[in-house]
Amino acid sequence: MYRYDEFDREFVRQRVAQFRGQVARRLSGELTEDEFKPLRLMNGVYLQLHAYMLRIAIPYGTLSSRQMRKLAHIARTYDRGYGHFTTRQNLQFNWPALKDIPDILDELADVEMHAIQTSGNCIRNVTADHFAGATAEEVADPRTYAEIIRQWSSLHPEFSFLPRKFKVAVNASDADRAAIKVHDIGLQLKRVASGGLAFDVYVGGGQGRTPLIAKLIKEDLPEEHLLSYLEAVLRIYNLEGRRDNKYKARIKILVHELGAEPFAAQVEAEWERIRNGALKLPQDEIRRIETYFALPVLRSDLPKAKLSAPDRGFERWVIRNTHTHRHAGYAIVTVSLKPIGGVPGDASAEQMDAIADLAERYSHDEVRVTHEQNLILPHVAKADLPAVYKALKAIGLAEANAGLATDIIACPGLDYCALANARSIPISQAISERLAAKQDVIGELKIKISGCINACGHHHVGHIGILGVEKRGEEHYQLLLGGSGAESTALAELTGPGFGPDGIVDAVETVVDTYLRLRRGPEENFLSAYARLGMQPFKEALYVAEAA
Amino acid sequence: MSKKIPSLSVITANRLSDGAVVFLDFEGAWNTDFAQANIASSPDEVRALEDRGTYDAQRNIIVEPYLVELRELDGRLVPIRQRERVRIAGPSILAAVPGYVAPPVAEDEDITQEAA
Repeated sequence: MYRYDEFDREFVRQRVAQFRGQVARRLSGELTEDEFKPLRLMNGVYLQLHAYMLRIAIPYGTLSSRQMRKLAHIARTYDRGYGHFTTRQNLQFNWPALKDIPDILDELADVEMHAIQTSGNCIRNVTADHFAGATAEEVADPRTYAEIIRQWSSLHPEFSFLPRKFKVAVNASDADRAAIKVHDIGLQLKRVASGGLAFDVYVGGGQGRTPLIAKLIKEDLPEEHLLSYLEAVLRIYNLEGRRDNKYKARIKILVHELGAEPFAAQVEAEWERIRNGALKLPQDEIRRIETYFALPVLRSDLPKAKLSAPDRGFERWVIRNTHTHRHAGYAIVTVSLKPIGGVPGDASAEQMDAIADLAERYSHDEVRVTHEQNLILPHVAKADLPAVYKALKAIGLAEANAGLATDIIACPGLDYCALANARSIPISQAISERLAAKQDVIGELKIKISGCINACGHHHVGHIGILGVEKRGEEHYQLLLGGSGAESTALAELTGPGFGPDGIVDAVETVVDTYLRLRRGPEENFLSAYARLGMQPFKEALYVAEAA
Repeated sequence: MSKKIPSLSVITANRLSDGAVVFLDFEGAWNTDFAQANIASSPDEVRALEDRGTYDAQRNIIVEPYLVELRELDGRLVPIRQRERVRIAGPSILAAVPGYVAPPVAEDEDITQEAA
């Protein structure tokens, strides 16, 4: 886990006290909304379609049981009994009263949490592979570096008013579970020939209205130069990024317009100037932070999992929702927040408490939040899997669908979001119900739904992506195919004219049935089949059938 | 505020203290019940609603007021945009939200007085 030092503790308390005063002055009328808005945004408070919304930072998606219980307590005490886990590994409460938010922030500070830099044009919560520290695939734990970046970027005076928001993701396995190439900066940790650790630095990726895949601008950056190089990138962006048009203000536009090589050259020149300065990371400091994330003591003498009777549901769940752990006696468990027909990413206070109990008892006190809106128990002894499954089943969270068609990402959409044009969640629910019976036959399929062009539901990188738009005051949905946020990052392509709320569910099923009909076999997943077949057969199935 | 003056409109905003969606009602109060909303049916009435919204936002009673254009549908007045229909009805998926607890039904607090 990350650890607050005295500075963090004192700073967060001071910020809560400061915000308490600002809220009081807003409620008394001393501050206007124009004066207050930037202050509330700096503390993660948005005004959404129906109410205020508070976004809480979960650094690289890592939570302790104590922190999860606190989130449950806040949901129960100040909100409406649930929370929403987001595609940036954060948590949102949808109904807090403004007058209660200072108390909520005080409660969060009790467990070393806050909502700072979850909004505004600053460096946002750093995300990382949700299997970090548990998977055998990684070269080192990416959270060490995510934490170093968190410390550097928190309240960075030079980067508190960037042209636009700025998102960093870190990955350390060949499999990219952090979608690094659709971030402003994506960092791929690797071991180089000398035996040391280094980064490939990707810059200028992102989704939104102008989706772009990040460009590799630096290879083999030694770990001690991580911060100086990031500082150089941010500095060039801060100087050169557009501030005249918010739709062209992200770094992806700058990299695209300048070109990756000229941009990299500018960064390189700045970096040469500062690389051996105060930001050069001492080895002992990197190793010290590494100890924050040390693998817990795992046992090698555990008995094998035993079932009292064969249980097909358990077997399916083990196959779908567990992943190989670096320790042979353990597994990484995905807790699906996608029950069939449910609301992606939502968890009740009771479920959060239950997950906290499970983490404490079976997963060395750790929970992770994934960008796919699920939770992870990272260190579960295989012998404990039946007990964990049973407990998850009791709280309705044992759906064996990780990576399948019903494991859908959906943004809050028009049901909550002031920016949205169309609802995402009901579409997700309907697709989930429609495809549930055949999801095992379909195999791996990532469906991602956004309720507007801002793409919080990652539709650009969905194997099947859905974008909600407004057409003459009504909801309408565009369909995209062939995207991926994984290591082979690709942007999805639009199929053609969009569909109404009922038609989009039929359209998704048509795409799925076409894939099942044309694939070479179950071993050819949707993305591979799409790469082979291209758009045409899907287009024909969608629009010829419609025209007939 | 919209530059185009719609013909049939109500004015909506969020209540400052808790963000609740409110509409200016017949009595000049901000009410959570859309059915009580004061409907403007002429450009002058629409402008009056707009002015009141701006004034109450300046008095820090409500936040982000704006007009919602209506049309008649099956004998009822409903917002033209789906966005506003959802804003009035609330999230459409609450029945599926795990653990959702509806707020207690309470009388609308009196927010017509200027903040101190």
